[in-house]
Amino acid sequence: MSDSSKRAGRRFPFWSWFWFILGVLYFVMPLYATLDFSLRMQRGVLSFRAYEKAFSDPQFLRTFGFSVLLALITIIVSILITVPTAYWIRLRLPEARRIVEFITLLPFVIPAIILVFGMIYVYSSPIKIPFTEVTLFPALTTFRFGTDIMIVGGYMVLGLPYMYRSVDTGMRTVDVRTLTEAAQSLGANWPTIIGRVILPNLRTALLSGALLTFAIVVGEVILASFLGVPTFGPYLFLLGQHRAYEPAALTFTTFLLTWAAMGIIQLVSGGQGQVAGAH
Amino acid sequence: MAFLEINNVNKQFGKSAAVKDFNLQVEKGEFVSFLGPSGCGKTTTLRMVAGFETPTSGNIVIEGKDVTNKPPNQRDVGMVFQAYALFPNMTVAGNIGFGLKIAKKPADEIKKRVAEMLELIHMPAFGERYPYQLSGGQQQRVALARALALSPAILLLDEPLSALDAKIRVALRAEIRSIQRKLGITTIYVTHDQEEALSLSDRVVVMHDGKIEQVGTPFEIYNFPQNDFVANFVGTLNAVSAEIVDPASNTLRMDGIQLQTAGGMDGRHSGDQVMIAIRPERLSFAAEQKKANVVACTIENITFLGSIVRIQVRIGNTNFFMDTFNNPFLELPKIGDQSEVTCSREAVLILSH
Repeated sequence: MSDSSKRAGRRFPFWSWFWFILGVLYFVMPLYATLDFSLRMQRGVLSFRAYEKAFSDPQFLRTFGFSVLLALITIIVSILITVPTAYWIRLRLPEARRIVEFITLLPFVIPAIILVFGMIYVYSSPIKIPFTEVTLFPALTTFRFGTDIMIVGGYMVLGLPYMYRSVDTGMRTVDVRTLTEAAQSLGANWPTIIGRVILPNLRTALLSGALLTFAIVVGEVILASFLGVPTFGPYLFLLGQHRAYEPAALTFTTFLLTWAAMGIIQLVSGGQGQVAGAH
Repeated sequence: MAFLEINNVNKQFGKSAAVKDFNLQVEKGEFVSFLGPSGCGKTTTLRMVAGFETPTSGNIVIEGKDVTNKPPNQRDVGMVFQAYALFPNMTVAGNIGFGLKIAKKPADEIKKRVAEMLELIHMPAFGERYPYQLSGGQQQRVALARALALSPAILLLDEPLSALDAKIRVALRAEIRSIQRKLGITTIYVTHDQEEALSLSDRVVVMHDGKIEQVGTPFEIYNFPQNDFVANFVGTLNAVSAEIVDPASNTLRMDGIQLQTAGGMDGRHSGDQVMIAIRPERLSFAAEQKKANVVACTIENITFLGSIVRIQVRIGNTNFFMDTFNNPFLELPKIGDQSEVTCSREAVLILSH
């Protein structure tokens, strides 16, 4: 390579940096504004007063705690449904993958408001065995536990694209089919294969899907508002209508939590990326 | 009764037949290779022996027991995969000891066996490493040790060297053969590489389009191919059609040139058309030594292939390849020169179909 072309190769990538900085500003400025505003509750000084007030509100702890609980239940049920589904499709039903991928994309095209009205329409009547008058469950919308079940179901639908794709990508990365066959030839049965070979190698994928689902559930407003479930999303929304600084403090805190979640994904996937690279 | 019997096995995938009427008996300690092009059914057959596919018809018997419908984890077979298939979350020792743990062997025994296996593959210091810390060749050796740790009745290898580079492939195939001989384990090896199959095996099963074309020792497969496909697939071959002139004197005619063969005329008559085959290394220049068949030729091309030199000659209207060992004192003709080539009667093979 000639000296001139070497110099050309080392030229400062101005436009790359320009677009990068513009992007960073676009995302960081609103965050900075929120942080700055949340620290100005006391006139003339920067303080954490808004954070103290927000965190000391019993409603905050109750709604946030309940959202976390719903998120955990959603994550567990989602994993129990998506992992065996994705595993079986990879192993035995590859032809079904397109249909399932299409289904997992539906939450992107069907707005949450349509979803919640559909759910209310379907589950506001008692659930009967088809073609009979035998009632399996009373209308889910008529009792609190019923709406809790409905909202977990709704959250699972909203988180499905993230959870399913994370799990499916994880399975592709570690080539679950060959690993399964290798374990089978070594005498392992299905529970052993899933528990000791498949799940440990999906650690990162499961964590990614779980944390994204967590972020969706904790910030969700529409399902919770229309189903009348007292979660963190509607609380934050209502708080924003009456107070100025506390919602900003809680919004920034939610961002921090999401970042922490992303950081954990990066930390964990950084270690396993090399393992996956072995294939 | 053979150690492994594959009897009348067929496998259909929808409307397409992957394996057709496959019959094979493998003796204890034998090393048998399934050789054939992609899609010939060799891997499907191996997977049926492993239990990953169920035959559409026929049965598979290991040590006198019908295992046709047994799941893979109850067959007592070890398998090595092309993609290594080491468990990424386990160390080398964890991988090798996995099957022993499943079999609920005592911890001491597992530790001892893992150490033995690491010695066997010449990697005693690698027990605590993870798969991603190993090269491809090392990973495949660990996969081999893992498959052997349980002392299975049969070892199955599905193109285990395909993902490795040429030098490592040659070294590792020698190691596989040496370990197989040492342990005396019955082995089935799937490959599309004829050199691998010929150099490793006690017997080679040449497959094409789901069927067995020929079963024989590497010597038989190479020197006495039974049909056109085997002759062409294994090694380089000059195959041309010829007419039988006189079956009694084993005389043939090709492009008006008479050739003598050593046999293969049973049931044939004058005027019959047959395919004849001559290996390139069985031809030589007549100036060196004249054999039963001597024919005039024109030099068409000369190619250096390292240890051998491949010369393309035209005999009549047909091009033939002729191989000769390379050496610094080799005197080669020039392209376009007229010359004579010769071969023995035995070098002219009549292919059955």
